[in-house]
Amino acid sequence: MYGSGTEQELLMELAAGKRSAAEQVYSQHYPIVTKWIQKNGGSEPDAADIYQEAMVILFEKAQNLEFRLSCRIGTYLFAVSKNLWFKKLQKNQKEPGYLPETGDWAYEDDIKVHHEREAHFGQLNQALEQLGEPCRSLINAFYQHDKSMQEIAADFGYTNPDNAKTQKYKCLTRLRKLFYGVQAKV
Amino acid sequence: MSTENNIWKLAEAYVEQTLAEAELVQLKNRLASDSAFAEEFHECVNMIRSLGSRGKQVQFRSLLADIHGAQKQVPAKRTAKGYIMLMPEYWRTAAVAAGIAILTSLSTYWLVQNNNKKIASQYSLLKRDLEKYKRSQHQLINNIKAQAATTPTATVRYTGTGFALTNDGYLVTNYHVTEGADSIYIQNREGEYFKATVKSIDPAADIAILKVDYKNFRFSKHDVPYTFEKTKKGLGARVYTMGYPQDEIVYNEGYISSKNGFGGDSMQYMLELPANPGQSGAPVIDADGNVIAIITGKQTETEGTTYAVSSKALVQLIRNLPAESRLRLPKVNKLGGLSREQQIERLEDYTCSIKVYKK
Repeated sequence: MYGSGTEQELLMELAAGKRSAAEQVYSQHYPIVTKWIQKNGGSEPDAADIYQEAMVILFEKAQNLEFRLSCRIGTYLFAVSKNLWFKKLQKNQKEPGYLPETGDWAYEDDIKVHHEREAHFGQLNQALEQLGEPCRSLINAFYQHDKSMQEIAADFGYTNPDNAKTQKYKCLTRLRKLFYGVQAKV
Repeated sequence: MSTENNIWKLAEAYVEQTLAEAELVQLKNRLASDSAFAEEFHECVNMIRSLGSRGKQVQFRSLLADIHGAQKQVPAKRTAKGYIMLMPEYWRTAAVAAGIAILTSLSTYWLVQNNNKKIASQYSLLKRDLEKYKRSQHQLINNIKAQAATTPTATVRYTGTGFALTNDGYLVTNYHVTEGADSIYIQNREGEYFKATVKSIDPAADIAILKVDYKNFRFSKHDVPYTFEKTKKGLGARVYTMGYPQDEIVYNEGYISSKNGFGGDSMQYMLELPANPGQSGAPVIDADGNVIAIITGKQTETEGTTYAVSSKALVQLIRNLPAESRLRLPKVNKLGGLSREQQIERLEDYTCSIKVYKK
């Protein structure tokens, strides 16, 4: 009872990108996952990769405000990490003996959605690459660094926020054409 | 253009849910009746949402990488404590070792000084003047590939080597490589160009700290795997280096031949290690994967004698950086247990070619 209430709060803070929450979750469950991955033929950097990927998956799921975990955060992260690690082993065909036949492939759907999202972001990154400067920096400043139009106008040397906004819309129009061009090709 | 603006404004308001009831009804009607508009509008909304969630994820990923880096420092402290506890038992040995060290460095000093009088040897800087060289086929291919991303328009005047201080784009090279540059680009192992700016210099030590301008730049998925030696290594220590005297990365190995560099410069080492123009700024690494120095120049008279500025000078320069460009050097060495080949494989991601443009 006590646990689930605070875990939900923690999850919401994590979804909001709060550092303290991310730190708490990270340090609480990272050692167990690392130990397990090391026992199953992985290195420490491997474990860090897998665990961070699992946390990103949780983060993305928690973006949906209606999302409720049906288990503890630690259980979820451990299960997803295991699955991701099995997938990696399977891909590299290093340790086929470790792979379970059925049963342990938990949260398969979450991982599938995650891979689709990553592919989508990959196309978006490609379009942003092609967009060139200053458009790419301007768009990143707004969507990634949470800068206001005032700050952007000052940073990029536009006379006022409205001009910066017009420029942003021009960049977005070009990006949209590039992005849907990229998608059509793939 | 104004219609373009309008559709984006509308899409932004729709995503942020700031449209009034009446506007929303109007929008829905138009979407139902005008299919061309509807398609365009959905593309816009999709763009905005994708950019928003991508931005959040990038932020979260860098937060995780940061937390990971910060937490890895904890065990390092613990081992340091253990080391201090052992110290008294080794007092005598340490004293003898220190005595020998002083003796060696004094004699080396004397040797170098003496040598200096005999030969007014020239010191040649190892940046590569490209005007002298015809550009190779490979260079041309790289240039064409890079044009899609960022295209340096002028021709390259000098090239050198640089290597990562932090994964997010701080790197170090020689001051003489960057001196008087109009613009500086780095080129990674994939051949991609990124613009970089000089953040701090120490002309006396011949060090320049650069930062890649592109905000999402990462050398690799992992943190920088090597650490920086804060004290000077002893004579005879086996070292190796990796640099870009050509378009392909080149590996060389050798040893520390003197604890002082050109003209008795105590900030430098003298190395017995072959180096060529273009290798200025390359890291000098010991067997355990610690960066101990940065290649700066060589003796023109004898082949194979190279000078390198010690990483101590670099660490000092970083300490003196202004607070806003806080730069945390890697604290964990991930190369220690690896074979030489594996170390090199890991290092390649963090070593880059520096291209300097001048009018």
